[in-house]
Amino acid sequence: MNIARSFAVTKRVLRDLKNDRRTLAIIFVAPILIMCIFGAAFAGDVKDVKVIVVNHDKGTPSGSLSDKVIANFNKDILNVEYSSNESDARAQVQSGDGYAVIVFPDQFTQSVSAKALGKTSVSQEDVTVRVLADKSNVNVANAIIASVNGALAKTMQDMGRKQLFSLDASEAIYGANVQFIDYFVPGIISVAVWQLTTLLTLISFVGERSSGSLFRLLASPIRESELVSGYATAFGALGIMQSAVLLAVGVLLFHITIIGNIVIAFAVIALLAIVSQALGILLSSLAEREAQAIQFLPLVVLPTFLLSGIFWPIESIPVWLRPVSYIFPPTYAVEAMRAVILRGWGLDKIFPDIVALLVFALVFLVTAAILLRRRE
Amino acid sequence: MNVTDAVYISELEKHYGAFRAVNKLTLRVKRGEIYGLLGPNGAGKTTVIKTLCGLLHPSSGEVYVLGKKIPDPSIASRIGYMPQELALYRGLTVHENLAFYGEIFSLTKAQIKAREQALLKLVDLEAHRDKVIDRLSGGMRQRISLACALLHEPQLLLLDEPTIGVDPDLRASFWHYFERLRDAGTTILITTHYMDEACHCDRIGFMRDGDLIAEGPPQELLQLTCTESLEDAFLSFSKMEELE
Repeated sequence: MNIARSFAVTKRVLRDLKNDRRTLAIIFVAPILIMCIFGAAFAGDVKDVKVIVVNHDKGTPSGSLSDKVIANFNKDILNVEYSSNESDARAQVQSGDGYAVIVFPDQFTQSVSAKALGKTSVSQEDVTVRVLADKSNVNVANAIIASVNGALAKTMQDMGRKQLFSLDASEAIYGANVQFIDYFVPGIISVAVWQLTTLLTLISFVGERSSGSLFRLLASPIRESELVSGYATAFGALGIMQSAVLLAVGVLLFHITIIGNIVIAFAVIALLAIVSQALGILLSSLAEREAQAIQFLPLVVLPTFLLSGIFWPIESIPVWLRPVSYIFPPTYAVEAMRAVILRGWGLDKIFPDIVALLVFALVFLVTAAILLRRRE
Repeated sequence: MNVTDAVYISELEKHYGAFRAVNKLTLRVKRGEIYGLLGPNGAGKTTVIKTLCGLLHPSSGEVYVLGKKIPDPSIASRIGYMPQELALYRGLTVHENLAFYGEIFSLTKAQIKAREQALLKLVDLEAHRDKVIDRLSGGMRQRISLACALLHEPQLLLLDEPTIGVDPDLRASFWHYFERLRDAGTTILITTHYMDEACHCDRIGFMRDGDLIAEGPPQELLQLTCTESLEDAFLSFSKMEELE
C-alpha cells in the first residue's frame, strides 16, 4: 500500500469538493437547515391546547372542588374555555376548534366530600371527571389527560387528603434536563453523514466510471485498495467536519447537552462516514449514470429514517421488525453517539457499536476494492 | 514470442456473453514504432487497447506488454493510457489534474512541475494552467487528456481515438508530436477511425467485426489493393474478407 498515492486521491476528492460550491452547500448547509427545522418544531412539549370545560358542579357553600381542580390545570399546556352545554362543547371539538371536553358532574364536590368521609352510597359516576379527547393526535391527547390527572392529584394534596401512594420521577440516572432536541441531534448528525456521504461517493464514483477517469486510474500503478482508502480518508475527514459544524450549531442555537467525550463522538461519526463511502462505491457498480445513482436515494435514506432510532426509539417499532434495524450501520452510530453525548459513556461501554461499525467498514471496503479489481 | 516486441498478442479472443468482440487476434508491435489500429466503430479496437492496459481479461489467448505477460501490475508505470472518454476531473483545474496524475505515477514535485511546463507548451495550453476543465473547449480538454497520458514519459503509449473531436490543425500537430515521441524511442499503439491520418503510422492493422483483416505499412496496403486512399484499401480488404 502506497500511502502517498492514497493521499493523492484524498487530496483530489477534497479539492473537487472545494471547487464545487453547490455540493459544499448541500454537505454543510442542508443538515443545518434540517436540524433547525426539526429542532424548532420539536424543541418544546405540547403547549397551548384548547380544551372546553363543561362544569356542572354545583359545589357546596364552602366552595367548589372543580374550581380548585381547574385552577390547578397547567395553563402552559391547557388553554381553557368554558361551555355550559356538553353537546355544544362536543360539537366544537368535532369541528376542530378544540382538542377535548372536560366534564365535571353536578354533584362532584358533595360526592367527593362524602366519599372522603367514608360514605359508600356515592356513585362512581358522580366522582368521575370525564375527558372526551380528540385522540387522533396521540401526543396532544396524552398531554391533556396527564395535565388533568396532575391537577386532580395536586388538588387532593392541597386539601390534605391522604395519598395512598406516590410517584417521584424527578431524579434522572441519565439525561437530566434533556429535551427532545438533545435526543434528536445525534440522530440527525448520523443520518446526515450517512446519507450525504453515501450519495456523494456514489455519484462521484459513477462520475469516475462514466468520465473514464476510473479506467485511466485502474490502468495506472494505483492499487484498488489505495483508491478506496483515499476516498475513505477524504470522506472520514469530511464527516468529522460536517458533524463539528452540526454540533456547534446544536450547542450555540439549541443549547444541546454534551456530557461525554466529544472526540469519541467524532471517531464514531468518522467510522460511519467510512462505512457510508464504501457503500457508495459498492452501489456505484450497479449504476451507469448519475441519474441512475440518484434512484438509490430512497433505498439509503428511508429505511434508516424509520428504523435506525433517529426520531423514535427502536423499542417503539414492532419486535419482529427490530432485528432489521441492525442491518443498517446508522443504527449503531446513533446508539453510540447518544450514549456518548447524553450519557457520557466511554469506549468501554460503546465498544459493541464500534465493533459493529468496524465490521461494516471492513466488509464494505474490502468488497468495494474487490469489485473494482474485478475485470470483465 | 519475441521479447523485444513492445506488444505481442497471440490468438486473443474476447467475448461479452454471446457477443464476440475480438476473434483470434494475433498482432505484434515493435519497439519504437507507431502502430495504428483502424476500423469502424464496434470493430474491437477499444477492447484490444483495454486488454493491453489490463482493464479487461482475455477470454482466451496470450498478451505480452513490454515483455511481461499481462495482467502484470508492474508494467502500469511504463504505460501511458488515453481512454476514449475525457477521463479528467472536470471540477479541477488543468494544473490540479496534471498534479494528481503525477502523484499517482509517483513523480516528485519538481518532476511534475517540469513535465507540466513542457506538456502545456506542447499542447499549447500554457495560459490555461489554472482554468477549471469545465471551462475549456472540447479540443482543449482532449489536449489535456493527452498531456495526462504523457506525464510520466511512458515507454508505451496506448491511445484510444486521441484525435476525436480535435480540429485538423491540432490533429496535425498531435501527429507531429507522436512522430517525435517515436523518434525518441516511445512505442505508440493508436486507434482511430479517421483513415486519412493513419498514413502517419509505420504500420497499420485493419479491424472489422473483431477480426484483423489486413496488416502492414500504409503504402504496402495501398499497393496491394491498388487504391489511393486507406479508406478504399479498407473497403477492398473488407470485400475480400466477405468473399472468403
